[in-house]
Amino acid sequence: MLNAKQEIAIKVLVNGAELKSTVAAESTLLDFLRQQSGIVDVKCGCNKGDCGTCTVVYEGQTVKSCLVLAASANNKEVWTLKGLEDDPLMKKLQASFVRHGAVQCGFCIPGMLVSSRGCLMRNPQPSRSEIREAISGNLCRCTGYQKIVAAVWAVATETPNEGA
Amino acid sequence: MKEYSYVAPASVGECLQILHQTDRAARITAGCTNLLPNLKSNKIPDCVLVDISGLQELKGIQMEGQTIRIGALVTIDQLVHSTEIEQGAAALWQACQRFADPLVRNRATIGGNLANASPAADSVTPLLAMKASVTVESVADGKREIPIESFFVAPGKSVLRCDELITAISFVSEPEMNSCFLKFGLRQAMAISVINVAVALKLTGNRIADIRIALGAVSPVAMRAKQTESFLIGQEISPAVLDKAAELVKSEICPISDLRASKEYRTLMAGVLLRRAIEAVLG
Repeated sequence: MLNAKQEIAIKVLVNGAELKSTVAAESTLLDFLRQQSGIVDVKCGCNKGDCGTCTVVYEGQTVKSCLVLAASANNKEVWTLKGLEDDPLMKKLQASFVRHGAVQCGFCIPGMLVSSRGCLMRNPQPSRSEIREAISGNLCRCTGYQKIVAAVWAVATETPNEGA
Repeated sequence: MKEYSYVAPASVGECLQILHQTDRAARITAGCTNLLPNLKSNKIPDCVLVDISGLQELKGIQMEGQTIRIGALVTIDQLVHSTEIEQGAAALWQACQRFADPLVRNRATIGGNLANASPAADSVTPLLAMKASVTVESVADGKREIPIESFFVAPGKSVLRCDELITAISFVSEPEMNSCFLKFGLRQAMAISVINVAVALKLTGNRIADIRIALGAVSPVAMRAKQTESFLIGQEISPAVLDKAAELVKSEICPISDLRASKEYRTLMAGVLLRRAIEAVLG
């Protein structure tokens, strides 16, 4: 009856490609992406759900990949920043981040971009405080939040905002 | 090196069988927002991870007459976006908006928040104020309903047995009661409550016809402030009455000092937040 396994064979649709691997019971989706699949645009910061730099789109929802069990991602769909680079909204966000100087050390940016896209997908015209709320699970230790918010806001309002 | 194994039952029935057979060595996993950080910091002993995240039967919010029934796997984000919760359980709806951050809310489940049994859990205080009950199931005893007030026994501990699974949380929506949740955290997002308060209140004219007050992070388990409730029922709202209630609630709680706040500060804030919560319900 009990068919519990220490190693689990999984296949995950990552950025449109089917990836197969065998993962340990306790492995996270983040472990699977970075260590087993070489998908390193997903960053590993705190590895305990606080910092948000491992943010991905999992089954259509923006989540921290360190909080998803790899085994439960079997047959699920995952998109990371790299896989979203041809997405028109992501292109606009990336250009806006550059234009606003929103990137300092850059470590939080993959997560920030994925969260920002999730915010605009759900609410195309957010207020500034709604943008802040949407990225509140993504920490920037350069404390560059103002320019990040300005960059997302500029995409939401579609007015090229040079200064911020 | 710890040894874990993994199994994903296809139904609640199968899950209960697994829990029945594996006894203490099983750990339910769903949103994993507590489990994985704890696992990474070596706080979880060897066990079978029983993944229930695919069980559709635990995912819906249902209205049965005046009763709202929330499946254990409903995420905090689903509660934030539920009209039933917004209209029928204002305090819970507000608590869910203050819960962790949006990314965590997409994963964290209401059943997990209860199972984790933190005295500071944000969903518990409103559920106490709404006299919710927790549905748990097992092979041995079938289904049992546990009033949320007797569900928790100590920090991190509840009456949930290791062969039991939380399947739902339900409460009666009371249109005549207005409710509100207030949380004091050290920052806006990803903050564990220093203290939180939920109030459900019914007014007749200016008089309090009924009130339920619940507080979190001020005692080993989240609690109702029943002496303060008894004092307030039948009283006309006035600054003097609110002052007295704020004093009284401080004598009912037994907070600790920890890295977030001192015992004295929590005691002071219990009075402040209760007063603010009652004023917020009054509008």
